[in-house]
Amino acid sequence: MIGVFTGFLLRAIVVLIGAALATFALLWHAPGDPALAIAEARYGQNVSKEVLDFIRSEAGFDDGFWTAFWAWLSPLMLGDFGQSSVNGREVWPDVVTAMSYTFPLALVSLALGLAVSVPLALIATRKPGSWLDRGAVALASVGVAIPAFWLGLLLILLFAVQLGWLPAMGAETSAHSILPAMTLGFGVAASLTRIIRSGILEARGQPFLPAFTRRGVARRDIARDHVAPHAVVPVVTVLGLELAFLLEGLVVVEVIFARPGLGSFLVNAIFARDFPKVQAVVILAAVIFVVVNLAIDLIYRSLDPRVSGRDA
Amino acid sequence: MLTVDNISVRRGVSTTLEEVSFSLEPGRTLAVVGESGAGKSTLISAILGLVRCSAGGVSWNGAPVSRCRPALVMQEPRAAFNPRLSLRRSVMEPVVAQNLVFEPERLAMLCRALEVQPDLLERRPDQVSIGQAQRMGILRALIAAPPLVLFDEPLSALDAVTQKHTARLIADMQAQEGFAALIVTHDLGYAAAFADDIAALREGRIEEMGTAQAFIAAPQTDYGRTLRDAAFALGALERVA
Amino acid sequence: MTLHVHGLSAERSGQIILHPTNVDFKPGERVGLVGASGSGKSTLGHELVDALRAQGASVAHVPQSPDEALDPLRSMAFHWREAERALGLAPDDARRTLLFKALQIERGDLRRRPWGWSRGMQQRFVIAMALIGTPDLLVMDEPTSALDPVVAAGTMDLLDDYLKDRQTALLLITHDLGLAARRVARLIVMDAGRIVEDAPTEAFLASPKTRVAKSLCAHRNWLELPC
Repeated sequence: MIGVFTGFLLRAIVVLIGAALATFALLWHAPGDPALAIAEARYGQNVSKEVLDFIRSEAGFDDGFWTAFWAWLSPLMLGDFGQSSVNGREVWPDVVTAMSYTFPLALVSLALGLAVSVPLALIATRKPGSWLDRGAVALASVGVAIPAFWLGLLLILLFAVQLGWLPAMGAETSAHSILPAMTLGFGVAASLTRIIRSGILEARGQPFLPAFTRRGVARRDIARDHVAPHAVVPVVTVLGLELAFLLEGLVVVEVIFARPGLGSFLVNAIFARDFPKVQAVVILAAVIFVVVNLAIDLIYRSLDPRVSGRDA
Repeated sequence: MLTVDNISVRRGVSTTLEEVSFSLEPGRTLAVVGESGAGKSTLISAILGLVRCSAGGVSWNGAPVSRCRPALVMQEPRAAFNPRLSLRRSVMEPVVAQNLVFEPERLAMLCRALEVQPDLLERRPDQVSIGQAQRMGILRALIAAPPLVLFDEPLSALDAVTQKHTARLIADMQAQEGFAALIVTHDLGYAAAFADDIAALREGRIEEMGTAQAFIAAPQTDYGRTLRDAAFALGALERVA
Repeated sequence: MTLHVHGLSAERSGQIILHPTNVDFKPGERVGLVGASGSGKSTLGHELVDALRAQGASVAHVPQSPDEALDPLRSMAFHWREAERALGLAPDDARRTLLFKALQIERGDLRRRPWGWSRGMQQRFVIAMALIGTPDLLVMDEPTSALDPVVAAGTMDLLDDYLKDRQTALLLITHDLGLAARRVARLIVMDAGRIVEDAPTEAFLASPKTRVAKSLCAHRNWLELPC
């Protein structure tokens, strides 16, 4: 177990450093003058050369890539996300505020996805190949193919514009969360349905199951004790990937529905060339991703101990 | 002549072969018997040069074994073929790989000798029976007339009657072509009936080696006796009163 | 009580793989079911188990490989308890100890999952599990071919000892007449989904009647092959 943790910690460090370096390099090499963008964001048009020079030296742009990278990374390792290069405010409190909008939405979407996909997959696999099953597969395939921005706009058109039942913009009340959660939850439900369905079918085809029937074990017990645990394993494995899609979808959904949150925070920061903010979000996303995958890895090992090759 | 000279193979910390030595003349058959995990498959890999020996060496007439282009017949006949290719293409692989001139007469002769209907060659591996597939595996091994053929459990996927029939075909081919045959098998009955010599491998070491008659009639070691008695108990050998 | 089964049959995708068949077993009888691969031996075994169970008889089936009998995610203890429950039996340590002793697996750790045991021990565990309810008939499908000969021979000997004075009949399904002849008193030969011969072992070996049976007999012994 200790070996597993050490290995994981090393991998996590490599991933995080890679993410930090990649973001920094991308922003560094983005076209246009970052100092100019910052100055315009701070002081409006027509900035003097002195101001630009001041911004350059302040952000460490003058001393080359690695110095600037290090100037950002070293406080970060102590938990200091720095200040916004545009308005000088601490980044971290703003990030926390953004998270307080984003995480509930993500969790509700995930729950919605599970609440739809699990029963749907169970119904579909009752009779594989039936019209019900094919319908579920078709729905899931369509659902995976529909991009979040398009679905979000459709939902706005229908429920906000045509019917006027639900608000489309903002995040003031919980009613504001319904359409975004539906948009995200639909995509999650679609891909989970496919995975759960194939997991169940695969688990049902295992070579040892006929022996349990012949031994006289009740069908229900076989389903619960010998099919379900095998079907869950692939589902847990892909939940980590699912999270990545969810993070990506959140950015789009928050922009479409004009919600505050990490996604819109990130998009605004990119437009403003607010390096510290962009990097904070990217690092945070990487940390979330790494932690969730560690959790999934551990769950996976406890579900299927063959992975670690040790038992009891 | 195949010379296996005092080879040891290590994988990780465990030793899978320990100081194994023997030699095998053309036209002769050596059966290597033993339980799973005894190192039988590792021995084949070592002879083919697929694993490095940590000590000792393997040679054919003093040169590296790969120079003599040895052939291998595998346990699972269907898995040994590319499922998407016709059996004809698979069977001709050694000829293509070694840039030999294709001799239709040799293919026809082998088909006759191994009881392979030539039209079956146009099928894919899953369209023939396991017995037919294994005979084609042997055909592929022999097409380029190798001086050394290694058989890794060649019969264990077949039923009892087919096993004996196939064993007879292999022996007849050997009498005709004169290759040296090394047969890895868990079936002492097969070894007793068709090999000149038997080597019992246990935990990477040759526990006992001798002529097949001597091995069956009077094993010299406890392990040899254990193997023989198991063969009696399973009816693979008849106890001679 | 003699077990009778009438009119067993089976088809797969429109093709008959088992023609209507009647079989009977006397208590404690040892029967071998031999035939080439694809002759319908295993199908007959499966149909037999299902039919006898439907009649209310107690039957157990041991598949060829422990991989076909054990769930790799569940502990051995779980399997054992489940098998007891399926027979409506309360847990009984004495019974378990007796069976484990008989099959020499008393040193196996029940908390482990199947792959924590050697294959030979897994197979013996499956056999022990099949014997929990002291069945009227134990069907074993190719019990030796997934095991090393030494392990397989040991397993068969232990099973023989256990069954010696009991009422449980044994049906040994195998392609290997040599094995069956060594182990059973009565032989049933199958070919193309039909029973073609059914005779006491000695009589059968002395005068096989059908072509298939003759071929099986001729290829029984490695050291006395025809031609």
